[in-house]
Amino acid sequence: MREPLDTTVSIETPEHVTLRLRLAGPWRRGLAYAIDGLIRGFIVLMLLVLISMAEGSSAFNEQSTGMALIVIFVVEWGYYVLLESMWSGQTPGKRVLALRTVKEGGFPMGFVDSVLRNLLRAADWLPVGGCVGIVCSSIDPRFRRLGDMVAGTVVIHENRARLLRGQADEVPPTADELATLPHRVPLQADERRALERFVPRRNTLAPAREEELAELLAPRIAERLGVRYRDPGRFLALVHHRATQPVGASAAATDVQS
Amino acid sequence: MSATEHRTTRPADPDAFVEQRRGSWSALEALLVADRPLHKLDPADIARVGQLYREVCADLVHVRGASFPQDRIAYLDALAVRTHGALYRAEPYRFRAVWELIAQDFPRTVRESWAYMAIACALFVIPMVVVLIAAVLDPSLATTVLPPEQLEATAQSYLEGFEQGRSQSSDTMMTGFYVYNNVGIAFRCFATGIAGGLGSAFFLVLNGLYLGATLGWLWHEDGALRNLLTFAMGHGSFELTAIVIAGGAGLRMGFALVQTRGATRLASLRSHAPALARLVLGAALMLGIAALIEGFWSPSSVPVPVKWGVAASLWVLVFSYLGFAGRARPAQAEAGAA
Repeated sequence: MREPLDTTVSIETPEHVTLRLRLAGPWRRGLAYAIDGLIRGFIVLMLLVLISMAEGSSAFNEQSTGMALIVIFVVEWGYYVLLESMWSGQTPGKRVLALRTVKEGGFPMGFVDSVLRNLLRAADWLPVGGCVGIVCSSIDPRFRRLGDMVAGTVVIHENRARLLRGQADEVPPTADELATLPHRVPLQADERRALERFVPRRNTLAPAREEELAELLAPRIAERLGVRYRDPGRFLALVHHRATQPVGASAAATDVQS
Repeated sequence: MSATEHRTTRPADPDAFVEQRRGSWSALEALLVADRPLHKLDPADIARVGQLYREVCADLVHVRGASFPQDRIAYLDALAVRTHGALYRAEPYRFRAVWELIAQDFPRTVRESWAYMAIACALFVIPMVVVLIAAVLDPSLATTVLPPEQLEATAQSYLEGFEQGRSQSSDTMMTGFYVYNNVGIAFRCFATGIAGGLGSAFFLVLNGLYLGATLGWLWHEDGALRNLLTFAMGHGSFELTAIVIAGGAGLRMGFALVQTRGATRLASLRSHAPALARLVLGAALMLGIAALIEGFWSPSSVPVPVKWGVAASLWVLVFSYLGFAGRARPAQAEAGAA
């Protein structure tokens, strides 16, 4: 279980696959805490403004003071419990920094876990300024603070690797465009790799540069396939599409749509 | 469909492999979008997630074994973790659980942890009584616990009594104050118990001392003590009991670290966690009720005897609730034993 050199924790699933969770360290978590702190402050401020507006006076009278105290209480103790149990272990701050609280087995946390780990913030905050929490999570090999230990949770750094990014920016190929290509496009490994790198970046390049790069590869492929093209970049994107999504799969997709 | 075809042949070339499998992975990502609980999807989609997840697991084993580039492995790892989380998600929230907590689980857990509750009660009551007696005999002793200005201010505020009632806006303010202050005290009283129970013990004793000193000081002020008790006995039933329960939960948490019954300290702590959560949630609910009583009933201008009557019935209510709610009926108990 423990891998002292790595900040990962391994879990074995019932499918007998070992998954690796990347643990989030105190710095990243501290930053998320700061963001959440700002948001909490902002929420309280907004609600206080609303309350005083509803009271119709700028000065705080007894009634609005009472409501303000309830608001502060709810935000102070409820913010984390509510958000973490609703968003499956995330708060806005955690979301920005791609953090998530999960059970040690890699499962999503539940309401009870959220209550325990967030009420124990009071203990982690002792004696002042989060000392216990910082020391504790720095020493622990899994960066857990006291609340995490009791609730049995860890904070992981979610690794949304970007293998598929960039594809969404591409305008989906039309049936006419695809019809110009043969059903199978034979590609060599280096061509495939070049396409892999080029197509997702295509829309981030300046048009002239894009054309320049595309012209390095497009004529070669066009010649082999015996087709013509007007826009080399778009042509490569089509080839890439055809290579990644075999004809059978795209036919099935159109069936579902129609 | 295409996924099943490819299951048997996995190209060794990383790029070819990624090209081949990308369709399945994107499909899985699309199904997992935005953390929607899986049970809200179509049954067909749920089944599809399960199938795609097994494929991703197999792919992961494959890319690890074939030592693919690190980013491919990381991507699949992350995808598998996300799906694993979605598939093995804890059960969805049920509103019934709230009712079960109130009707059975909370009082049962309190009874089950009676020893901790008794100790917490002693830690709160004994210092209170000692300081109370001391302050009755010699008021200057009360000032060793709290500054005389504060005691005097409290005394002044209770000299008048509540025959006139209190304005509604004051009620709102005080409810807010009690929620903020007292529930916060109870939560801290629990949380600091992680230090072997010492924090909880400290806060229990401290609050006992404060209460004892205040009561003792007011003994010497004309009528103030009577007014304070008339005011406080009603909500005290919920409030003091809840603070003792929160403290008792803290003690239980601390003691779980000491008495491990052969488990590691952490595992021992962990085994108490669900009970601790029930106790704290129950105590928080009780404190919410206390704050409402304290804000709106306690300061009202209802005649004093009525207030004492209500206070007495509230104490009886709290203790019979904690003592009897959620007990199995005799018939059920027999069935359970047989």
